[in-house]
Amino acid sequence: MDKYVLLRHRDTPDIHKLSVYGEYTALQKAVTTLTPEQVINEVKVSGLRGRGGAGFPAGVKWSFVPKDRLPHYVTVNADESEPGTFKDRELMEFNPHQVIEGAAIAAYAVGATRVYHYLRGEFKSVARRMQAALDEAYAAGYLGQNVFGTHVEIQMFLHLGAGAYICGEESALLESLEGKRGQPRLRPPFPAVVGLYNQPTVINNTETMANVPYILNHGAEAYKKLGTEKSPGTKIFCLSGMVKRPGNYEAELGKISFRDLIFGENFGQGMMVEGRNVKAILPSGASGPIVTEAALDVLLDYESVAAAGTILGSASVIVLDDSIDMVWAAGKVTHFFRHESCGKCTPCREGTYWMEKQYQDILKGKATLADVQLLQDVAQQIIGKCLCPLGEFATSPVLSSFQHFQAEYEARATDAKKVVPAKAASAKAAATPTAAKTADTKAVPTT
Amino acid sequence: MADLINLFIDDVAVSVPKGTLIVDAAKRADIDIPVFCYHPKLKPVGMCRMCLVQVGRVKLDRGTGQPVLDANGSPEIAYGPKLETSCTTPVEPGMRVITNTDLVKRAQKDVLEFLLTSHPLDCPICDKGGECPLQNLTLTYGPGVTRFDYADKQHLDKHYPLGELIFLDKERCIQCARCIRFQDEIADDHVLGFYERGRKMQIETMSTPGFDSKFSGNTTDICPVGALTTRDFRFRARPWEITNVPSICPHCPVGCNISLGTRRSAKGGGEWEILRVMPRQNEAVNEIWICDKGRFGHHYARSQARLQKPLIKKEGRLVEATWEEAFSLIADRFRAANGKAAGWLGDRVSNEDAWLFGKLFREGFNSAQLVNRPHVAGLDLVARYGVGVGTNLGNLGQGDVVFIVAGDVEETAPVHMLRLKAAVERGAKLIVANARETKMDRYAAISIQYQPGMDTQTVYSLLASVSNQQSAISSQVAKFAPSDNKIKAAGQLIAEAQNLIVMLGDERPYPVMVQGQYTDAGRALAQACANLVVATGHIGKANNGLLPLWPHNNTQGVYDMLSAQGAEALSGEVKALYLVGTDPIGEGQNLPPTDFVVVQELFLTPTAQQADVVLPALAWAERDGTFTNAERRVQRYYKALPPTGQAKADWEIFRLIAEKFGLKWSFFSAEGVMHEIAAQVAAYAGLDYVCLAETKEEWPPVGTSSDLYFGGTAYDNRGGVGAQTKSLFEINGRSELKWIEPPPPSGQSIEPRRLNRPGTLIDQSAIYEVRLRAAELVKIEA
Amino acid sequence: MLTEIFKGLSITLRELFKPPVTIQYPEIKRPVRQRFRGRHELRRYADGLERCIGCALCAAACPADAIYVEPAENTDAERYSPGERYAKTYEINMLRCIFCGYCEDACPTDAIVLTDVYELAADKRRDLIYTKDMLILPPPSGKPGTPQQVAEGSYPRSILPEGLVSEP
Repeated sequence: MDKYVLLRHRDTPDIHKLSVYGEYTALQKAVTTLTPEQVINEVKVSGLRGRGGAGFPAGVKWSFVPKDRLPHYVTVNADESEPGTFKDRELMEFNPHQVIEGAAIAAYAVGATRVYHYLRGEFKSVARRMQAALDEAYAAGYLGQNVFGTHVEIQMFLHLGAGAYICGEESALLESLEGKRGQPRLRPPFPAVVGLYNQPTVINNTETMANVPYILNHGAEAYKKLGTEKSPGTKIFCLSGMVKRPGNYEAELGKISFRDLIFGENFGQGMMVEGRNVKAILPSGASGPIVTEAALDVLLDYESVAAAGTILGSASVIVLDDSIDMVWAAGKVTHFFRHESCGKCTPCREGTYWMEKQYQDILKGKATLADVQLLQDVAQQIIGKCLCPLGEFATSPVLSSFQHFQAEYEARATDAKKVVPAKAASAKAAATPTAAKTADTKAVPTT
Repeated sequence: MADLINLFIDDVAVSVPKGTLIVDAAKRADIDIPVFCYHPKLKPVGMCRMCLVQVGRVKLDRGTGQPVLDANGSPEIAYGPKLETSCTTPVEPGMRVITNTDLVKRAQKDVLEFLLTSHPLDCPICDKGGECPLQNLTLTYGPGVTRFDYADKQHLDKHYPLGELIFLDKERCIQCARCIRFQDEIADDHVLGFYERGRKMQIETMSTPGFDSKFSGNTTDICPVGALTTRDFRFRARPWEITNVPSICPHCPVGCNISLGTRRSAKGGGEWEILRVMPRQNEAVNEIWICDKGRFGHHYARSQARLQKPLIKKEGRLVEATWEEAFSLIADRFRAANGKAAGWLGDRVSNEDAWLFGKLFREGFNSAQLVNRPHVAGLDLVARYGVGVGTNLGNLGQGDVVFIVAGDVEETAPVHMLRLKAAVERGAKLIVANARETKMDRYAAISIQYQPGMDTQTVYSLLASVSNQQSAISSQVAKFAPSDNKIKAAGQLIAEAQNLIVMLGDERPYPVMVQGQYTDAGRALAQACANLVVATGHIGKANNGLLPLWPHNNTQGVYDMLSAQGAEALSGEVKALYLVGTDPIGEGQNLPPTDFVVVQELFLTPTAQQADVVLPALAWAERDGTFTNAERRVQRYYKALPPTGQAKADWEIFRLIAEKFGLKWSFFSAEGVMHEIAAQVAAYAGLDYVCLAETKEEWPPVGTSSDLYFGGTAYDNRGGVGAQTKSLFEINGRSELKWIEPPPPSGQSIEPRRLNRPGTLIDQSAIYEVRLRAAELVKIEA
Repeated sequence: MLTEIFKGLSITLRELFKPPVTIQYPEIKRPVRQRFRGRHELRRYADGLERCIGCALCAAACPADAIYVEPAENTDAERYSPGERYAKTYEINMLRCIFCGYCEDACPTDAIVLTDVYELAADKRRDLIYTKDMLILPPPSGKPGTPQQVAEGSYPRSILPEGLVSEP
């Protein structure tokens, strides 16, 4: 990238120190010169979409908070438990002040005096970094009773979770923050109206918050120049799997494709093992439908990816090459969902276990073709009935892997017909474009 | 009428109040939507996903907010992309709900198939079989075969004791959380919770001792599977083998409606016995709940220790005799007493027994010396200023105030606590005044803690703070004007109250020695409470007046019967003493000096051991009768068991003794006695067993087999909801303010009544022993 | 006229020398058919435990209300049947029973069966109320009867998993 919006520590080392980061100019501008409504409007106009996975416009979400019914709260979802996602931790470890400033601006915008960052329990070292940054911010008067000397109060706290993926779901996060079991709530009512302790609450992902200072500092119009019209701004793409250079890469939305991300010189630099090809891409961690190399040229923004039949979500791109047994891979993901299912609603609680069981039978060679079909039936049976998206997403890898790799499944059945084995993942040796097509991409070197 | 919303469910037009959930609206239209986690008395959670339906809403134009019309001019309906849970969705005008499409039917089948993958194949050994919502709904909505591997069922604890009364079978649990929500929302004892997550999610008790709640038994009623079962009923019988008889709980003055499940059993020696006590629905009294003491405290009716034959003391020992011998002896000695006879009547006996006891004394023994046992102050005041006809704690809400003084509702009238908590959640305000903290303080708008013994003074302080009170006793009341802001605020609440109920407890010693004289401090407190309601005009209407925390189930009724016959206190010599259903010696008190003692009892109590004649009486389950509860509601209970040995009903014994005095009373049933009561006691006018047996349709519908899943295993009420008697004020409009100077604190420590303290009857329930031993001893030090 | 008489008598004579179909009960007994429903029996497993788990489904199925069941709890120290539950009291009123076999159909563990025995006459009504000890089969030879003391946790389920030999 020319200039990072989010991963600024790659340009500016030690930006986690306040002395390097500089003043909270965006927060100062908001608190001293703008009204909360103006701040919300600015964020709305910028078109910033939530970076946690749903992609819901942040400004619109903030505007749902009623003016009355104080107190209001802001919570920052730093649970980051989606497999293959590791962007928020880099932000919090190396550019924490930007996250803090963004969250403080959000608090001012919705009239909240308390902000809680909900970090996953395993982020103990990350929390130390964040706390150090918080202490600096308090000392500088950017947080606390009188922010920038005004009568605006913004108190900010960290809270560690205890190892549950479901607590990344916003209503389960609120439950956990309240000290109760982390199980999702019924929606409606939505957190903007009934949230933490039944008060209006804004929940946004860490990366979303980190975008806000740029918007305030440079203006909504400047932000809109980045990315595409419907998906403005930059996004941190978490690339992992069987690529040479896994890691976080910040790029404008809609300006690079999967191919660029995986093979780009400034990005993944191609497959980890020479001669292997892309067999499957999980574009949104465990939750999105799996796509094959046919989708390599899809541009990475919310609309284009959706049009290709999958979701961009949190942009956790996991790449699998043709040495991977897709049945095994889908089974592993299903195991994850079964393990993380909170158990509140029947279809997810029982269905994820059943699907995992089917996978175990298939992988052990004890399943018939009917059992393979049963696995799909069970996945279809779960869809549309669950209390929260976890159950629905649990079916994506099952259904999409069957859609693309049906032959692999059927080959393992005890009563499989003896046919030509599953077609090789890339018979068309589209091969490994190395430094190809980096013209209009903004590749990002790793730190 | 409150806002009504019109919608269509399966093309049936339905009109329900605003805020009604779709699942309730459908029930009212006789359309059954299957549920597991939903319960009409609990907040909905939408967890089990069984109630999924197709919901279509009227399309509204974004700009104008008006319905979009189609070609025919009717509003366009937009159906949701997914099925929605009907238990969490309130109705909207013009909504169209469909519960019978293929998609919905598939969803119901699928959810059941999912539930049955973890649920063990336990029906043959499960107590719930036959009254199990999972069984019923599987047969109605579920798949015929499962595609899941039977050998992969979960293996968890099956016989896990949650405390000593309830067993949990962790495999059977379908994680509906009804038990947890009942404990959290209704009983307010947070003693159950989930443990682990996913398919391994299990119920655990969070208290030591386990499942420490006075209402734990109710969770076995609302559990939709056989996960929670009672130890009392474990492996006793199948539900269809039980004969259910409506009855009233014989313990506390709430008067919960119950259903006795009886069977003739080999374990009971070939005799009929009570296998279990279940709640019977009466939304005006106990809704569908009962407390654990009522549920597990029935064993005394069939105890081996029951008196079976009359006993006469010969040569210092009690020996068995015939009824004829006993009656003759009693008649002789009471005739010889020549009017110097006294009767001590316990307050557990029925109205009919009490009536004939008084009649026997008046017409047979020529004496009016009749005493209520135990001594309770304020019976006459409650009879006069008790809550009005139509009182229903379930109707309390915004603008209503309940003032509780010197009492612990959860310990003395447990189900009232549930009702009051619900009333507070609907907006009613609670003022609690006591010398110690009680559970009711959690719901109180204002909690007043006074020095022990200063109860009456506190009531007058409150009255003094109620503005604009001018009355005959104003100047005396003014002396107690408070400086405490809390009491002032409480007085303000009362001044603004639409309805006021004063609950009168008995946590103070009485009588009290003041300057060598006995002062009945209880009387002073009762009078103060009466003055409070009279002075503020909160008498003679529904949900207004005095609501006492009496010791037993028929304290009010026994008083009503005796006072209507002109009972007088003891005076002078007592040559013959007749005790019925009371054990003074066992409670540490002495009998007055007398020549002849007759004790009519269920067990050989310490008092009975000192008697000259012991007469065996029938327990409540072995005969008919009526009890009058604290709200002065007369309720019928029915005979469920054959008699024990040669015991007779109390009223029948009195009739047979009266015969010896030449009195030929033509009562051949308790019903007959009620005819006379209705004719001679003003408050009971118009009551008879027919009108007391009238039932009414109540919400939620429970008890019939098709409604099991909706409201749990309570029994619908086929025995009658009872009728409230008018207070004397409602009859003759007379009220007065009387002044009794509040006595100063006595310096005595007080031991408040507790639900789980040992007693003659409850001791017979071996299953309840742990609770009795574990009950803490509470003392209010002076 | 005479010929008709002799014609008729000849038929009689022919029949006279045919063998009779009457079976001389009780010296000779006609064997019963394979699915004959006679006297009830409560069966056991091969290891001596009772099959009956006291579920009372037989009593529920019985159209004549002939069966009376009272269950009780098994402990490992005193075990009658696998699992938690067994029939402590099991009585069949043979005078009510119509020998339909619904109880046999209903039983989930194949405990109650109807055997070939049909000689059930008695002269007192009381003797025709069969109690459990009259119905339960003796244990297979060499195996202990019930109650048994077993190792803790060895029979957790009432319905035995497949594979255990079921025939005594």
